[in-house]
Amino acid sequence: MEFLSSWWLFASTRGSQIETALVEHTLYVTTVVGAATVFALLLAITTRSNQIAKELSLSISAVFLTIPSLALFTIFIPLVGLGFAPSFLALFLYSLLPILRNTITGLDGIDQSVLESAKGMGLTPRQVLFRVEIPLAWPVIVAGIRVSSMLVIGIAAIATLVAGGGLGDFIKLGLSRLPLPGSLEAIWTGTLLCVLLAFLIDLSLQLLRRATISKGIR
Amino acid sequence: MSETLIRLENVSKAYPGTESPAVGNLTLDVQEGEVLVLVGPSGCGKSTTLRLINRLIEPTGGRIYLKGEDVTEIDPSILRRKIGYVIQQVGLFPHRTIAENIATVPKLLGWDKVKTSARVDEMLELVSMDPAIYRDRYPKELSGGQAQRVGVARALAADPDVLLMDEPFGAIDPITRDRLQNEFLRLQQDLKKTIVFVTHDIDEAIKMGNRIAILREGSEIAQIDTPEAILSDPADEFVENFLGSGAILKGLTLKKVRDIELHDIPALQMPVMRDEALKALESSPEKTAVLLDKDHKPLRWISEASLNRTTQPIEKSGKPITIDLQPEDTLQDALGVMLQSSVGMAVVVDRGGKYLGCCSIESLASMIISGSGGS
Amino acid sequence: MTLATPAKVQRSQLAERLDIIVPPLFAGILAVLGSVVWLYSDIDSVTSSILTAESLQRQIVDTVILGFASSFLVIIIAIPLGIAVTRKGWPRLKTFLVDSLGLAQALPAYGLIVIFYSFFGAGINTVILALATFSLLPVLRNTVVGLEQVDQSVIEAGRGMGYTRIQVLLSIELPLAVPVIIAGIRTAIVINIGMAALAFIIGGGGLGETINAGLAMNRSPAILIGAVMVAILALAFDSLGAIAQRYLKPKGM
Repeated sequence: MEFLSSWWLFASTRGSQIETALVEHTLYVTTVVGAATVFALLLAITTRSNQIAKELSLSISAVFLTIPSLALFTIFIPLVGLGFAPSFLALFLYSLLPILRNTITGLDGIDQSVLESAKGMGLTPRQVLFRVEIPLAWPVIVAGIRVSSMLVIGIAAIATLVAGGGLGDFIKLGLSRLPLPGSLEAIWTGTLLCVLLAFLIDLSLQLLRRATISKGIR
Repeated sequence: MSETLIRLENVSKAYPGTESPAVGNLTLDVQEGEVLVLVGPSGCGKSTTLRLINRLIEPTGGRIYLKGEDVTEIDPSILRRKIGYVIQQVGLFPHRTIAENIATVPKLLGWDKVKTSARVDEMLELVSMDPAIYRDRYPKELSGGQAQRVGVARALAADPDVLLMDEPFGAIDPITRDRLQNEFLRLQQDLKKTIVFVTHDIDEAIKMGNRIAILREGSEIAQIDTPEAILSDPADEFVENFLGSGAILKGLTLKKVRDIELHDIPALQMPVMRDEALKALESSPEKTAVLLDKDHKPLRWISEASLNRTTQPIEKSGKPITIDLQPEDTLQDALGVMLQSSVGMAVVVDRGGKYLGCCSIESLASMIISGSGGS
Repeated sequence: MTLATPAKVQRSQLAERLDIIVPPLFAGILAVLGSVVWLYSDIDSVTSSILTAESLQRQIVDTVILGFASSFLVIIIAIPLGIAVTRKGWPRLKTFLVDSLGLAQALPAYGLIVIFYSFFGAGINTVILALATFSLLPVLRNTVVGLEQVDQSVIEAGRGMGYTRIQVLLSIELPLAVPVIIAGIRTAIVINIGMAALAFIIGGGGLGETINAGLAMNRSPAILIGAVMVAILALAFDSLGAIAQRYLKPKGM
């Protein structure tokens, strides 16, 4: 109980800091997942006819997920320096696999007869892709986006170690000032806000689902 | 004089790595307004041939002409918007409403919204589906038969001259299939489209086709002719085997009662006296007569034996006539009726129910044996 | 290896082969990168004091111990728990677990480690506990999904032939769920080795120390070599896991 009140005190006096960290963190999620979605779509479409290329891109994306997050964040520093750049790169590579895998699965899982009738009616290949295939694969793709978003939220906390900002700043702050007053509150703030953010983003994705997925395939 | 609407000229399709081509040097003409059925065993290439017409499969040789124009190399997507395409699994877009599905090609062609919307309703009515109910439904809410009706509506939406149908009723239960076939035939009578129809079912081919092309492996034409001609005169053993032993019975669906000579047996109209009846019966070889009522409608079969057996009045002797045939009924129906009657004959009446004559099993049998009808 | 979704039981042959080839290939590329950096960059005294053989060796050992210890902890909890949860009578708990993983993955491991530190103080045990907590849900979910994936008709046939529930579990379900359980173990090890890189934050040792020292002293070679080494470590164990998955599959699957 006491903790809650001291926490409230902490949080209410750091409004702008919390806001900045939240915004930075959210920015990571939106830019990374957005970029990864576009990239995954392009990759899935270009490799779809070549089985080897398809599996290879899946395997390589999986490797990025295996590499320890700290390593991935720091390995690009000699190239791009500290701050946003290495963090973005690392998170981008991390978020690829779930979205890529779901995009490929989604596109592969479309009923062939729908594609045949679309082609037979005279839709050009591009029209088939944009008007039939992507809309039909979209539910599965969104599921992948959701998974990636959650991943990115959790791992983006590490960005603070390479001066990348985000909610990890609070955790680092708290750690460095332990056991001084306010340090525990800082740590919990950083951690729980991640969960809160996850909840909010999940909610937005659900709304996105409802808005963009046709009633006919829900 | 109907013109050739579709012409496949020396068309072939060979897949790399296979020994024999899927379609080998095929020349085929489809006349305007006809239903040409491509039928043959599995793997003979009939579906491939169909899809060469709208170039879902590109030919490796030969030319394709649509309305005299060489379409072998034009943009296939443009070509397909002029051709209706119906497939077995229908392939409706699950994420679009029925209306949106039907509107697909009109929209591709740039029709305005008002014209498109009216056309959608028109198409739904054409396939006997109430637009008010079905416009805004989704494919997942439809039964198999309804889905295929929408498939046909969608194919006809942009008013193409040509319709390609690949086993369209294959995935539907027999009862619904029969109904859809009949509806489709009625539709075709009004619309008079040029249709190429693929099926593996010879009965469907006979029922639906103005002409049938029986295909061998490699899409080689074994015989191409009207159903009657093929049934009465199969070109070779392959065609005979494909028609199956039921070919003769199948032929009966194509002939009508009016094609047979009707039997002349005595017809006695009420009121008639016993003595008159007996005298007429004596002169008849079958010893059977038909009793007609005052309106010349058949009442009963009368025989000498039945008259002598009873003291009942004439109207109560013999056997009642409960079923009849009309000149428009097929011989297959006639056979069924004759088998049910106890005298091996069936009465033929006109539209008003008035007696025209009798049809006997013997005349049917002699028609089958001779191979041609009384036409 | 994915943190996010359990490995599919049925994978194409090509996918399996790539699974075994690609990670070591990457590790090889990274090793080359590391050697190039070691040989051709400017190794000044600060850097070489960070990159001493003893400290690197110690850190590697620390990382491996941390990774395995926490994985072990997770496995002995998650697998029995997974089995328990998939028995009849717990369907809602099961659905809750399977669905909740979504949000739970957003929990930052970094935060978790620091929170544990605040409660339990510094040291290896704290790290082990934190890592185990972090990787518990993914492995649990893997086990649950793996057991669920077992073809119901096979189970029914077993019961029909007279197997008791325990016999069905031991002779049918577990053997058939082995591929996914192994995938789960592999996931646990990879996650934990990866997260062990963060152990340095609370004095738990590990290769993160080298990386951190490099960051603090602004020496790129140290950063790179530290990062490369921990990456190679994770990829090496991932490959071992892939091989285990391939060769420990029950015959006929």
